[in-house]
Amino acid sequence: MNSQFRINVISIVTLAILWEIAGRTLEWVLIPPLSQIASAWLRLLVSGKLLSNLVMSLGTLAAGFFLAVILGIIVGLLMGRFREVEHFLDLYINALMSAPMTAFVPVLILWFGLGVESRIAVVFLFAVFVIIINTMTGVKQVDRSFLEMARSFGAKETEIFFKIILPAAMPAIMAGVRLGMGRAVKGMVTAEMLLTLTGIGAMIMQYGSAFATDALFAVILTILIVAMITMKLVQVVDQRLTGWKLEIAIE
Amino acid sequence: MVEIRGVSKSFQKTVKDNTAEVRALTDVNLSIRENEFISIIGPSGCGKTTLLKIIDGLIPHDSGQILINGKRISAPGPDRAVVFQTFALLPWRTVLANVEFSLELRRVAKEERTSIARNYLKRVGLEDFELHYPHELSGGMQQRAGLARALAVNPLILLMDEPFGSVDAQTRQLLQEELLELWQREQKTVIFITHSMDEAVYLSDRVVVMTPRPGRVAEILDVPLARPRIADDVRRDPKFVDLTNYIWDSLKKAMENGH
Repeated sequence: MNSQFRINVISIVTLAILWEIAGRTLEWVLIPPLSQIASAWLRLLVSGKLLSNLVMSLGTLAAGFFLAVILGIIVGLLMGRFREVEHFLDLYINALMSAPMTAFVPVLILWFGLGVESRIAVVFLFAVFVIIINTMTGVKQVDRSFLEMARSFGAKETEIFFKIILPAAMPAIMAGVRLGMGRAVKGMVTAEMLLTLTGIGAMIMQYGSAFATDALFAVILTILIVAMITMKLVQVVDQRLTGWKLEIAIE
Repeated sequence: MVEIRGVSKSFQKTVKDNTAEVRALTDVNLSIRENEFISIIGPSGCGKTTLLKIIDGLIPHDSGQILINGKRISAPGPDRAVVFQTFALLPWRTVLANVEFSLELRRVAKEERTSIARNYLKRVGLEDFELHYPHELSGGMQQRAGLARALAVNPLILLMDEPFGSVDAQTRQLLQEELLELWQREQKTVIFITHSMDEAVYLSDRVVVMTPRPGRVAEILDVPLARPRIADDVRRDPKFVDLTNYIWDSLKKAMENGH
């Protein structure tokens, strides 16, 4: 394996050892030793509780993220392509991009109730704006000489869009999708903790208030692993679509 | 074959709240013969690239007209193809797919366009690089691909916008020689924009000297050098030296009169 992977492994092993030592020497409830967390994780896994909650959470994540990607890319493309659309929307998009989405949770409860729709809406809102902005920026930064070249060889507007603008903007779009994925995971957990106690979020609240720190850390660790895997997935798609270029991310 | 009659062009230039009209070209007249290699030379900002874009039909002109074989043009057409200064190769396409791009837009069937593209890549010496991406090639090789893309659509007129302006000096000389060889075999009209006097004289049948903005034709000069031209011999030829010196004087004069 390459050196990056080796260093990654060394880093994880070092952290695990330090954690274990800290857990055994310090207060058990505050920092449970890693071995304790592992056995709690195993217990949750065997009981099926972790998996069933995880499936529920991931369903919300997938639905909200999917909507955010589709809508985010469409809106971003329109904003990048048409100045009128951009100026019509950019005020709100920019404001919402940096607004704390958690503040909207009560509104969403009013609108969508306490069901899965609200949770999907939270995931969507967490992810969509960064995708819009990156897509728009990608479209606006398309090298003008490519457009000129295409026109000179007789390209029509639709051909310019599909053969030049879309592929040229793809690295920026995928950067937005990657950042959106990270935000979607945050949205998922936030929704489950603040909105309705379901899925992974509910487990966090439950074990947290019961001081079951080993199980709590087991769940948190699971979230980290899920976040890592989903990011990796997006990266794989990204690599396939835009292997020709390094990405630019705007956040 | 190409008739440029009284072509003028102005741009609106807006700086803060002030909009000013900039005259880029004024009353440009020029007629270009079939299969002629003609260079247009002039100081930066004289509108020579604008003129090329107008001939290509990429930008409209305000007055006058451009005729190609007697027909007025106002939009890009299959009789013309451009080689760009910035190469304008699509970074997500391989060299082969870049050359195919021009054919794709002309609705040439997949198999046919691959074989045409391969053929032209061979002619510019890139046959071993067809699956490389542009960023993997040197500037000179990228421009060879740009040239292949333009030739692939078999245009009557090749419009070249300072095509060798961004490659190093040795590569530039090499590309010039290759271009001449290609031109002699392909039989095309070439309109070549440059700001190198040496390049203009070495390549061309005639050299058009333009004035600074607003660009006008200051002078049209015949190049009295026999073809085929061997680069090293030509550059030592007194006629070559005289003509480049003359163009330099002419450019200087045009610049003094202009400002």
